[in-house]
Amino acid sequence: MDFNFYHLLAIAGAWLLFLFLIAWITDRGWLPARLVRHPMVYVFSLGVYCSAWAVYGSVGYAYQYGYNYLAYFLGISGVFLLAPILLAPILRLTSTYQLGSLADLFAFRYRSRAAGALTTLIMLASMLPLLALQIKAVAESVAIMSGDAQPLDVGLWFCAMLALFAILFGARHATAREKHEGLVVAMATESLIKVVAFVGVALIGLFGVFDGPDGLNTWLDQHPEMLARLYFPLQDGTWHSLILAFFVSAVVMPHMFHMAFAENLNPRALITASWAVPLMLLVMAICVPIIVWAALAKDVATPADYFALGLSSRFGDQGALLAYLAGLAGATGMLIVATLALSGMALHHLLLPLRRPQPGEDLYRWLLWARRVLIVGVIGLAYLFYSWVGHRHSLTSLGVMSFVATLQFVPGLIGTLFWPGGNRRGMLTGLLAGFLIWLLMLVLPTLDPSLHWTGLSELLGLRFASPLTQWHTIALMSVASNGILFAVVSLITTTSSAEQNAAQTCAVDSLRRPYRWELEADDVDDFIRSLAQPLGAVTAEREVELALRDLSLSRNETRPYALRRLRDQLETNLSGLLGPSVAHQLVDDHLPYKAQGEEESNEDIQFIESRLEQYRSRLSGLAAELDSLRRFHRQTLLELPMGVISLGADDEIIGWNLAMEKLTGISGRRMIGSRLANLPGPWREPLLEFAKGDVSHQPQQEISLRGATRWLSLHKSRVHESLHGERDAGQVIVVEDVTEIRALELRAAHNERLASIGRLAAGVAHEIGNPVTAIACLTQNLALGASDDELDQGTSQILEQTRRITRIVESLVTFSHSGQLPQHHHLPVDIHDTAAEAIALLALDPDRRRQRFENHCASGLMVSGDAQRLLQVFVNLFANAADASPDDQPVSIHAERTGEQIQVSIEDLGHGIPAALLDTLFEPFVTSKPPGRGTGLGLALVYSIIEDHRGSIRVESPTREDHGTRFIISLPAASSAPAADGITA
Amino acid sequence: MYTDRLLIIFILGTYLLSPAIIEWWSDGGRAWFRPFLVWSLLIGLSYWIGRSRDFDGL
Repeated sequence: MDFNFYHLLAIAGAWLLFLFLIAWITDRGWLPARLVRHPMVYVFSLGVYCSAWAVYGSVGYAYQYGYNYLAYFLGISGVFLLAPILLAPILRLTSTYQLGSLADLFAFRYRSRAAGALTTLIMLASMLPLLALQIKAVAESVAIMSGDAQPLDVGLWFCAMLALFAILFGARHATAREKHEGLVVAMATESLIKVVAFVGVALIGLFGVFDGPDGLNTWLDQHPEMLARLYFPLQDGTWHSLILAFFVSAVVMPHMFHMAFAENLNPRALITASWAVPLMLLVMAICVPIIVWAALAKDVATPADYFALGLSSRFGDQGALLAYLAGLAGATGMLIVATLALSGMALHHLLLPLRRPQPGEDLYRWLLWARRVLIVGVIGLAYLFYSWVGHRHSLTSLGVMSFVATLQFVPGLIGTLFWPGGNRRGMLTGLLAGFLIWLLMLVLPTLDPSLHWTGLSELLGLRFASPLTQWHTIALMSVASNGILFAVVSLITTTSSAEQNAAQTCAVDSLRRPYRWELEADDVDDFIRSLAQPLGAVTAEREVELALRDLSLSRNETRPYALRRLRDQLETNLSGLLGPSVAHQLVDDHLPYKAQGEEESNEDIQFIESRLEQYRSRLSGLAAELDSLRRFHRQTLLELPMGVISLGADDEIIGWNLAMEKLTGISGRRMIGSRLANLPGPWREPLLEFAKGDVSHQPQQEISLRGATRWLSLHKSRVHESLHGERDAGQVIVVEDVTEIRALELRAAHNERLASIGRLAAGVAHEIGNPVTAIACLTQNLALGASDDELDQGTSQILEQTRRITRIVESLVTFSHSGQLPQHHHLPVDIHDTAAEAIALLALDPDRRRQRFENHCASGLMVSGDAQRLLQVFVNLFANAADASPDDQPVSIHAERTGEQIQVSIEDLGHGIPAALLDTLFEPFVTSKPPGRGTGLGLALVYSIIEDHRGSIRVESPTREDHGTRFIISLPAASSAPAADGITA
Repeated sequence: MYTDRLLIIFILGTYLLSPAIIEWWSDGGRAWFRPFLVWSLLIGLSYWIGRSRDFDGL
């Protein structure tokens, strides 16, 4: 071989530099975004799983344990084949709450710093053998290729270079919020080259040794023991444990968790990964037996772990370089990502809970340097482990130790996704027990046989010389103890409500019913002021601005719903920066909710709805049907042609339908989550007053909008929540725009008046005719000559007659006037005078002039209203009464004050109203008169005017045995009206 | 059906069928690539499911 130690170290350095350049040009944006975010880049970046174990270890394992080597590739393939079920919920959680590691996930789920810290410590301990395996693989491959290099020296140099590049790769940003696109593309490149190189080695074996597939088959026919060796270990019972260990490790190992979840640039790429990752692994796995057979056929002298290297070396330097590159790529990829992930875990769960930067310090800079120091620390620990014990053990021993340890996280993960009943005490107890069994029974005796605690083995019924021969039994025993303790302790201990909430948030089939709590902070500035205490003013401002940008909210946001979302987003973003435990405590301490019992709080309907929308396709069966029903009801409410506002018990707006948007020009997105008090000008007062008032129906509310007057009819109803024992859950307000109806009514009223004027015209002519005749006679007398006394008398009589004409004309003009006072301009109106004027007007009607009216109303009984419109009411009612009454029967009018109301009754002794008409009497075009006599609009108009005056009208008929009708009007009294009834003829 | 139930059925089914699968696999003889054929079949199935189904939230 022509390679020496320095050549190989330089190749390793060049390789790391190449990866760094790939990352650098990606981060500079020189690669097209389409390529960077392509699903296949994500797929290949997941190839980081195939570490030096895949290139070297699996070949040695296949040589020693036959087909059992496949478990390594099949385990992760199984995970990705089930990605939409298994990985998608974790990805959803990690991306929503910015959880960058398994320790973050456990700390978030179990609301426990201890869970995060213990997970980090155990993960660190369990990863050390695997990290040492990578260092060992590179160091020994260099030693094999160079022939004289000392593996420990190679390891030291390699680790130093690695620490430098790990810092350059991943520790340039302080927060997990910013994805390392460069790292993802670099790892994808690394995997692609690794796969190509490994396949290249296999092809060298297949065609260089066997002359193709036929040659391989011939060789296998000649060596049937090779096939038997491949098949035999399948029967030894370790298969299930192996598959389980590799299945779990594909999810929980920090480098896999980091690439699959924390660095995921495109969540939909997980669907591509579900078939493409197994395909990539299949390609690698099928190469393994070919390499083993080719190496055996060629009598390669290297240890079985390095068959790939030994085999390819037989075919020149290029061949050797191919295998070296495959191993180097596998080792560096895994080491870089695992180190970054472990340093992040250690920062969030070990360092930050112990020491936080002071408010004056630059938080981001502090975090960055802490992370760099931790990266060096992790690589240093891995090297120490390798140099202390790792170099004495095979790749298989080191790998098995790590993979078995990852099983200890299975119960916690099941608790996170599928069992909300599990709690932190159970999780911690189980994890600690499982870890101790792993440490005492497998790791320590393997590393140093003198540490084999035979007493414990005998207690557990295990008798073996070397723990590695029984590793699968120890694995099952540790994970079973872990699981049982987790379940039992969870069941017998209590769980805090915060943990229950977090558990429901994480559970796949969540039952959480989120509540709306009111924050003590009233606006965004309050947030910044509160967070400035722990973070410093600059960091607090920056984090709040970022959270506002994430949520597309404005700086002057005051809606309670928006502020709650802002708090959640801040906790999420800080979780990416400081880890979930510290972030949760910091936000809890500085952005607290107002003290409120759960029974007083309200369900966060918006949050529930958004979550249901998000999980829509995951619902099935009855849940899907209920969701369809919910969507149907929601759509009905949304598209109702009348405005609907739903208010919570705390007056927060939780519903604002499309008709409201159209009516007000204010979008639901802006209003939902705010209060009625946040409504803009013209809408605020009327709606707020109506929502707080006692009346449940307000027929015609006037509102001035962009210079035009609109009329609204408001209705409301209280909503009761039966689940909480008929608790008040708010109210629903229906807003009907009646402006057009109102215009039609006014037009109808005007027409009705014109019709009345037409009817009155003949009477007017007659009434005016008399004084005109009198004036003519008087003028003639004066013309014939008169004394001074006669002149004076004649002149005053002419003036009297003229005044009489003026009065008649004025009455007519007043009545025909179509103007209308706005409601807030209502004035005191004397009932007696208005009734008298109506009687005078009807006297002009030739058909009704003989009708006798008795006005019994006391003078001075005042109502608040529009005199002209109330005159219309009396004219219509008196005319109807006159039409119905026999000539000799009077129509009597009474008025009295009852409390704050004036009650006016108009009674005739006519034929009465048919019972069939009573219910619809006040509807338009309903009349009891013969055709041609009535328009049917008179009473509808009366009803409308009385409603506008916030009064009421009802009818009693018959009032006597079989005849008589009484209309009773109730109107609000004007202030300082006399309380007593009076009678005036 | 809830997806986690589907998962339980899949895992249970695989566990129950595993002795038969391993026996069939061990009887491969010269057809040592048998597991890779089944594996390819599963990849094809996964590709087909991924194409035909919209996974919400992904």
